[in-house]
Amino acid sequence: MRDDRTGFSGAGRREFIQLAAAGAGALWLPGSAQAQAPRRGGSIRAAGYSSSTADTVDPAKQTLSTDYVRCNMFYNTLTLLDANLAPQPELAESIESDKATVWTIKLRKGITFHDGKALTAADVVYSLNRHNDPKVGSIAKPLAAQMTEVVATAPDTVRITLASPNADFPVVLGTFHFHIIKEGTTDFTKAVGTGPYMCKEFTPGVRTVGVRNPNYWKPGKPYLDEIEFFGIPDETARVNALLAGDIQIAGGITPRSTRQIKAQPGLAIFETPAGVYTDLIVRLDAPVTGNLDFALAMKYLQDREQMRDAIWQGFAVIGNDHPITPSNRFYNKDIPLRAFDPDKAKFHFQKSGVGSSAVPIVVSPAAAGSAEMAVMLQEAGSKIGLNLEVRRVPADGYWANHWLKSAVGYGNINPRPSVDILLSLFFKSDAPWNESAYKDPKFDQLLLAARGETDFAKRKQMYGDMQLMIRDSSGMGIPLFNSYLDGHVSKLKGLSPVPVGGMMGFNFAENVWLEA
Amino acid sequence: MRRLSPVAVVALLVILAWAVAAILAPLIAPFPPGRIVTRDTLADISARFPLGSDYLGRDMLSRVLHGARYTMGIALVSTTLACLMGVTLGLTAAARGGWFDMTASRILDAMISVPSLLAALVVVSSLGSSIPVLIGAAAVIYTPGAYRLSRAVAVNIAAMDFVTVARARGEGTLYIIAAEILPNMILPVLTDFGLRFVFVVLLLTGMSFLGLGIQPPAADWGTLVRENIEGLSYGAPAVIMPALAIATLTISVNALIDRIPGAGQGDSR
Amino acid sequence: MNAAMLRLIALRLALGLLTLAIVSALVFTATELLPGDVAEALLGQSATPQAVAGLRAALHLDQPAWKRFLIWAGGMLSGDPGRSLVNQLPVASLIGNRLPNSLKLAGLTACVTVPLALTLGITTAMWRGSRYDRIVATLIIGIVSVPEFLIASLAVMIFAVKLRWLPALAFRAGVQDFWTMLWLLAMPIGTLTLVGIGQMARMTRAALVTVLASSYIEMARLKGAGPIRIVLIHALPNALGPIVNAVALSTSFLLGGVIIVETIFNYPGLAKLMVDAVSTRDLPLVQACAMLFCGAYLSLVLIADVVAILANPRLRQR
Repeated sequence: MRDDRTGFSGAGRREFIQLAAAGAGALWLPGSAQAQAPRRGGSIRAAGYSSSTADTVDPAKQTLSTDYVRCNMFYNTLTLLDANLAPQPELAESIESDKATVWTIKLRKGITFHDGKALTAADVVYSLNRHNDPKVGSIAKPLAAQMTEVVATAPDTVRITLASPNADFPVVLGTFHFHIIKEGTTDFTKAVGTGPYMCKEFTPGVRTVGVRNPNYWKPGKPYLDEIEFFGIPDETARVNALLAGDIQIAGGITPRSTRQIKAQPGLAIFETPAGVYTDLIVRLDAPVTGNLDFALAMKYLQDREQMRDAIWQGFAVIGNDHPITPSNRFYNKDIPLRAFDPDKAKFHFQKSGVGSSAVPIVVSPAAAGSAEMAVMLQEAGSKIGLNLEVRRVPADGYWANHWLKSAVGYGNINPRPSVDILLSLFFKSDAPWNESAYKDPKFDQLLLAARGETDFAKRKQMYGDMQLMIRDSSGMGIPLFNSYLDGHVSKLKGLSPVPVGGMMGFNFAENVWLEA
Repeated sequence: MRRLSPVAVVALLVILAWAVAAILAPLIAPFPPGRIVTRDTLADISARFPLGSDYLGRDMLSRVLHGARYTMGIALVSTTLACLMGVTLGLTAAARGGWFDMTASRILDAMISVPSLLAALVVVSSLGSSIPVLIGAAAVIYTPGAYRLSRAVAVNIAAMDFVTVARARGEGTLYIIAAEILPNMILPVLTDFGLRFVFVVLLLTGMSFLGLGIQPPAADWGTLVRENIEGLSYGAPAVIMPALAIATLTISVNALIDRIPGAGQGDSR
Repeated sequence: MNAAMLRLIALRLALGLLTLAIVSALVFTATELLPGDVAEALLGQSATPQAVAGLRAALHLDQPAWKRFLIWAGGMLSGDPGRSLVNQLPVASLIGNRLPNSLKLAGLTACVTVPLALTLGITTAMWRGSRYDRIVATLIIGIVSVPEFLIASLAVMIFAVKLRWLPALAFRAGVQDFWTMLWLLAMPIGTLTLVGIGQMARMTRAALVTVLASSYIEMARLKGAGPIRIVLIHALPNALGPIVNAVALSTSFLLGGVIIVETIFNYPGLAKLMVDAVSTRDLPLVQACAMLFCGAYLSLVLIADVVAILANPRLRQR
């Protein structure tokens, strides 16, 4: 599996991981930067995949990748996740904790907002506390709820008290919703932050223009004079714009379009292998289909190679019905990959007692590739007497109205910074997003134990056992982990994968430059 | 007696061929439309796959044949409904005038004032995209158009001398509609029906283009074009064939209506 | 006659306002029926019941629907369409950003389409049955039979990607120069012209042909009037009703009915704004867009009716 992945990402990525792992320090340079010095100047037009009046520069309201890209142009977080998803100090100079409960953050000196005001602890307190104000409607409220107190103890020091110990708290601070804004900001028609670009124009649903922040605290950065960022929701239109030379980078390219982009000289594909997956959900608490035999039948019906090749054109890594990617250090190599096996599927299907009545399987464009995967399952199912009925519902309202509610359906899960967060959010018996209603007290105990375990080998053993439990006892089918794909002009340099998301973990703006 | 022109005969044959294809699709399609039959995606025309394969490696011939059922069926039903409702209301309004005309015009004006694709979008996202919803939405959306046209034509005819004469003779509303107005508005209404059928087909393909039309795994021709659109740059048959299917159908319908004896030549009444 | 005319226009204006009221009620009800609301749409995967309830309260969505409608209608009457529920920006400014774009596209397209369509319609009616008539009819049939998105996609593929003559995106902020704008909008205008011209030309021809078949035209012909004179002087005024109607219908859709063109060319117009608003359940914005489309349409239809009445002496006397 490992070969599979590196085969697509190329040698550059591997070198880069080693560099970063060697502990280069707080500020890392993109892998390809080693070969070539960044060039200052020039401007680009960049396009993401969404554009709506809901576009925002309010950190608490960021929902889509385009919001992350936009806000990363204007703001900084206290920490930033690197290529290994390890938190590195950003606006924070140092972060210390007392038993992982009381965290003391010292701010970097000499940082100013775009309007010239100096960054102080009061700004950080305001930026963090507003997430717990219900009137703000912050997306990050569940994450922010653990902060019981945020106070400034000195002009450059903030103390955060948590409700319970969390060793991963610096990771939390690196989530984009915790971007730092100026104390008292309530007007988000413009963005005033500490980030690499200053907001020249922000029109929701139209475009965002950032100009180089000459006083940026990272020496030399950013490289571009100006970035115009906007959304082209239609993927074909986005690809066409790139092909026609209207834009220099297009985010969220589907694997099917890579053929066209690769065929044109001067254009390249930027792949970010990541832990994002579209998962088959068989809810174990549903009537009729809610039993493990039916779930296993469905899992065995997934022809993973065919899905990878036909739907993702090979830009995916085969998964083993649990959410840990093969490149994760906690991945359990000893569990055999579940293969496409209609005979076993038939055996379990007959045992499940579901019979020949139609079983609706809910798919949506909201879960990328779900319609195609379901069609493949339907086809394979028809050969063992399973009558699947694909019901496609709009992306609109999918998460509120269908996800976690349909007996058989699909989800789409973005990578999470740690195995603990991932398993706690989606597999713990009382998890709010327990997609298949998987309940196992033994699993919960193991999860807690692993959180407190400091010995790597023991922790890996625990996570390994949990992978087997999810694979064999939950209602989840996780056939593949697909890569994020972006298309760009070859002249645009400095891109390197950060598995938080596409476009360099949504943070390409401060890292890219144009080759002369 | 007039004969159909050669163009009209060809058009009629094309429409009939598609109708037959739609009806017999399950029998004549070489593969089930949803089955992935080859790893060669967006493949060219071959003996095994006469119309190539689609982006997942499904047989395009089978998919186009099955697509005919959705495209033609839905368009035919909703156009007929829309024209029936529109002409009935329009005629009544023109002949009776007064409060009926006012009320009907106001309400239908209100409906028509929201652009059709937007209206369809709102309906479909509130009720979910299913075939009855699509038919209903298209029918309702195109009723006001049919109404406006038939009312305008009828009012114009009603203002003509022969209608005034009939009124003066003391003929009733029903007689005037049936004997004087209706025969004189068949041509515009027929032209309108043809155009409207094409509109519905185009509306459906537009909805499919925006991802709100017929939902996979079912696929109408619009969906087929849409889901294979990236093949356009290298001329993959998977995108050209369904586009041709749409064009041949709509062109034939239009050509036929255009060539119905008298229709193209309004002067020979 | 002028007084009657004015009274008629005043009546139509009043009825137009009534229509707007009907539409606003219809749209409000329709959006109420949509599954999900703005709170759910905003929160996405994080839409836990508590979060949804909190945001709903913050947006005053917990009040009964009729009350929200009245508040909205009151605001509308005083000229304030309210604020977007999604991003709290004033609806007026959101629309203000898009309206010029839509007007530009609609206006330029109308400037191309209407004269072209009328010329085609009138000339084909004049020489009906001729080879020219048949060729035009065939061309029109070909054009109106191709889906809009296919025309647009093909155009992009050919003119933007392969030839690189025109940009794939029709919008570039801050463009003031007319010719640059025309260059940017060439493909959208072309597409919309192809889409709209058929209906208009055919309606024009059909209306003229119907009138040309009537007895008074026969009279004029017998009196020795030439074909051009017959069409332009005698027939056209009487056929004007259906013709301006067709023109009004077609042009009114250029404002809000161009969602496909806006999608393909990524043009920030009103149609996309409204579609976005529907998908995020942003009611004040949906309402305002609907009002705008409805208002534009009603104005055009009113103009069409007035023209028809002025042109047709029979209708004038009624």
